[in-house]
Amino acid sequence: MKKYLTLLVLALTIFMVGCAKEEVKTSKAKDTVIIATTYDAKTLDPYATNDVASSNIMQQIYNNLVTVDDNGEVIGELAEKIETLDEKTYRFTLRKGVFFHNGEELKASDAIFSLKRAYNEGAAIKHLINTIDLSTIKQDDDYTFSFSLTQPFSPFLVNMAHVGGGVVLNEKAVTEAGADYGFSPVGTGPYKLTEWKKGDEMTLTRFDEFYGEKPYFANMIIRVIPEASIRTVELEAGTVDLAYEMPALEVNRIEKNEDLAVSEVTSHAITYLGFNTQVAPLNDIRVRQAIKYGIDIETDVLAVFKGQAITATGALSQAVNFADETLTVPEYNVEKGKALLAEAGYPDGFSMKVWTNSKKVRVDMATIIKEQLKMIGIDLKIEVLEWGAYLQGLENDEHEMFVIGWTCQSLDPDLGLYPAFHSTGGSNFARFKNAEFDKYLDDSRLTTDTAERAALFASAQQLIVEETPWVPLANTKMAFGYSKNLKGFVPSPMMYHKLYNLRWEE
Amino acid sequence: MLKYTFKRILGVIPVLMGVTFLVFTMLHLTPGDPARIILGEQASLESVQGLRDQMGLNDNFFLQFFRYCGNAVTGDLGRSYSTNRPVFSELLSAFPYTLQLATMSIAIALLLGIPFGIISSIRQYSLFDNIVTSLAMVGISIPVFWSGLLLILLFSVHLRILPPSGGSGFISMIMPAATLAAQSVAVITRMTRSSMLEIVRQDFVRTARSKGANERHVIVRHALPNALVPVITITGIQFGRLLGGAVLTEIVFSIPGVGRLLVSAIQMRDYPMVQGGVLFIAVAFCLVNLGVDLLYAYLDPRIKSQYK
Amino acid sequence: MSTKINFIPFIKRLSRSKTAFFGLIFLCFMLLVAIFAGVIAPYAFSEQDLLNTLATPSMEHPFGTDEFGRDVLSRIIYGSRISLLVGFISVAIALVFGGFLGAVAGFFGGRTDHYIMRVMDVFLAIPQLLFAISVAATLGPGLGNLMLAVGVAAIPQYARVVRAGVLSIRSLDYIEASTASGGGKFYIIFKHILPNCAAPLIVQSTLGVAFAILVAAGLSFIGLGLEPPNPEWGAMLSTGREYIRDFPHLTIFPGLAIMLTILSLNFLGDGLRDVLDPKLRR
Repeated sequence: MKKYLTLLVLALTIFMVGCAKEEVKTSKAKDTVIIATTYDAKTLDPYATNDVASSNIMQQIYNNLVTVDDNGEVIGELAEKIETLDEKTYRFTLRKGVFFHNGEELKASDAIFSLKRAYNEGAAIKHLINTIDLSTIKQDDDYTFSFSLTQPFSPFLVNMAHVGGGVVLNEKAVTEAGADYGFSPVGTGPYKLTEWKKGDEMTLTRFDEFYGEKPYFANMIIRVIPEASIRTVELEAGTVDLAYEMPALEVNRIEKNEDLAVSEVTSHAITYLGFNTQVAPLNDIRVRQAIKYGIDIETDVLAVFKGQAITATGALSQAVNFADETLTVPEYNVEKGKALLAEAGYPDGFSMKVWTNSKKVRVDMATIIKEQLKMIGIDLKIEVLEWGAYLQGLENDEHEMFVIGWTCQSLDPDLGLYPAFHSTGGSNFARFKNAEFDKYLDDSRLTTDTAERAALFASAQQLIVEETPWVPLANTKMAFGYSKNLKGFVPSPMMYHKLYNLRWEE
Repeated sequence: MLKYTFKRILGVIPVLMGVTFLVFTMLHLTPGDPARIILGEQASLESVQGLRDQMGLNDNFFLQFFRYCGNAVTGDLGRSYSTNRPVFSELLSAFPYTLQLATMSIAIALLLGIPFGIISSIRQYSLFDNIVTSLAMVGISIPVFWSGLLLILLFSVHLRILPPSGGSGFISMIMPAATLAAQSVAVITRMTRSSMLEIVRQDFVRTARSKGANERHVIVRHALPNALVPVITITGIQFGRLLGGAVLTEIVFSIPGVGRLLVSAIQMRDYPMVQGGVLFIAVAFCLVNLGVDLLYAYLDPRIKSQYK
Repeated sequence: MSTKINFIPFIKRLSRSKTAFFGLIFLCFMLLVAIFAGVIAPYAFSEQDLLNTLATPSMEHPFGTDEFGRDVLSRIIYGSRISLLVGFISVAIALVFGGFLGAVAGFFGGRTDHYIMRVMDVFLAIPQLLFAISVAATLGPGLGNLMLAVGVAAIPQYARVVRAGVLSIRSLDYIEASTASGGGKFYIIFKHILPNCAAPLIVQSTLGVAFAILVAAGLSFIGLGLEPPNPEWGAMLSTGREYIRDFPHLTIFPGLAIMLTILSLNFLGDGLRDVLDPKLRR
């Protein structure tokens, strides 16, 4: 009997010693930068997903044909030259001497392969490039190719700058890896993937044949730490150099710390209260406006986001090009709200369900709004749906009011406005149908004249405010905490940051 | 013994099939469209429909079920909807974290539970005994998602001696293991105590005492080995419970183990991942229980003789 | 064998154990709090004060306020209703279904027994918390669904306890006599057998309520509980996590409420075991 116990204890001891070969994660040698994120990437196949955590890694591994500079202008990245042959035909000339992580040289055939693959297999990002007419793709030589769109589409090049849209993959690597490509990615970017412990951490290593400026850090470790408070503790302890998504309380704490700094950026994401404009009584514009008057948006946003957001004024984040800066936060006026409701035939209010998913700021918003709308006589019942059920319910038209987020995935407002409000838009959960609005957006796609587009987008945004298919609530600000010695961090409003620009200065 | 072992292993198979069917049915009753979740809210309706077809989600329920079982037998649990990695390799990369957590917890539980139990039983109704039995109750009653947070607050935030998140490595697993162990310590202490109390009243111990053996000798040589038989059983059961029940601890300490993987899969409607994960845990659970039963049968001559 | 319970001596024997007595008293206290929540609570559980958020404990708010300026004490008081309700109802669900299945399996034996217990084995192969999580995810949030998820996951345990009890008394004389005198099978089960399994069931149920409250709080903690603004302890704890460094009162008070309630139930269950089931005496 005793023998077995001894054996058992021995086995346990061996196991624990085995576990004890601790990796000492110190930042002292400083050829390695350690970054704490909230979620792990899902896959590194740019066409298989469109989530921020994955895009953030892809940004370091891949390059696109084009990118956007600090002023929001499209410039070439892998493309040395971009020519517009006619209003819907583009010709790209690639840089020469660009190599993939597997040693292959970048050729026009790779770019064409990538576009075709994105179109045919990239269900998650196809909406970014689905205006390409595949039959017109033409390869002129090893470095030059051209194609046309099915119709003129002015936001096209900006959309191509999105990580998933215009990224260039290596044909050979994709074909060889098959279904496993998502975790053995091959790009042309400054870093390559060396190790990926799912849900724990990922190691990227500098790619020495990178065509551009070599990054400062030889290694980059991206750790997954879902709890914000834990990210802060690690940052304070120096076991992490840069921490993403710091909530307001943590920002205050970091600001007081002499060794740490904070950067903030207004994201393209917007949190809004949506109405299904096809169901009674929400099909009455007066009811929608009454609800808008009944919500003290400014106070609510402050209470929920605690300074980590700007009160929204319209359907676009102020960080997006052509966002209308003349719009203001709607007035909070319970009396006006009551009057409008009475006028619409609901002097005693009504009761209604409001949907949200478990994302905390959305639940919090719904909770506060529920209390406020009691004042104008509306009794809300909050239903917290699991994300999949939520999206399905929206598609099946089972919704009434809903709190959700929306992100304009490009600097151009087309991707922010068209899918969400155009009568044919794929994410038009408000079921907004307005011929005037449709016309503004259709026209904006046909012209490349900046002034003309600005005027069209301004009218479109003002129309949204008037018609109130949404009550826009907040534009999220993202805060990042990092060591004072870490230089060169410029957060991107798209939430995938160019981490290869980071440097260390003691 | 061999026959018994074989019979028990065969008995596991229908249970696993039942588990598969149960989970499969539940997943199909769950609202939410996996294709939509994969593609995100910005993808078009036709893309979603196309993917549904491609994933076989529009097929008949039983067709899907038998297709799954057929593949599972060959070790193919499908690919995760969200990462497109094989479910099996996802589970294998998460399992070491859970295994390490569970093993360390059990080690802590044995190291504390057995001595506490023995001392408590020797000094029954003493102050020590009363404190230990009450503390054991607290250990069973304390929610891990609360005690874990309090430990983080104390050791990581205020004292700064332990890392707050448990990734790989021994040091970072100390707090999660201690949190998770609380309940097992309590269970093992109580079991050791009651088992010892029962044994010391039995004839052979009384005989040993009457022959003039000193008390320490009686306890260590005669009582303890016999008292530990049920403790081994309960340890095995606890270990099985920890493998599957570490979900909340893994969440609180951000450990990328099987439990957290499974919960996020449930939330993401990642059907193959949920299906494979539950099956994986059920297999681990059944194997541990089987091992415990066999060990018990081996240690207890009465059972052993039944299956000669 | 019969363990008919005589109330007065029963309480006397129970109160000999200090811990069991404490459990009983605290539980009665919580029950009173839950029943009279509307009278006791100083504020409504959903009453917000956006100008006084995250206040630390004070005279007006003994447990402080949360991120919407809601009174934490009031939310804990109202939360007791939810926790106790989920605890008792889910055990009732498990008791009814598990008890029935166990009784049928034990009484009829043979194939019936075999099949029922194989199905129970399937349920037992999935850890209870994980099973509850799966059921809760399938059903979606809500009080009823939460009870159902926690209850269904506990069915096999009760089936086992009842089956064991039935097996031990099935062959006793008075059951055979009742069968011989033409009593219907279900009549015998309900009239004679179940009442005589009461002792282990009472113990199991008391401990079961404790575990059910723990599981329900765990489900709420990971966001599978009730819709806001319902004050569920586990959910309160989950929200408080974000503020743990600056405002630990948001985590400590709901945590204490959960722990003390569960502790009192466990103490009581343990005491009951000592009194009702001398064989299992510790």
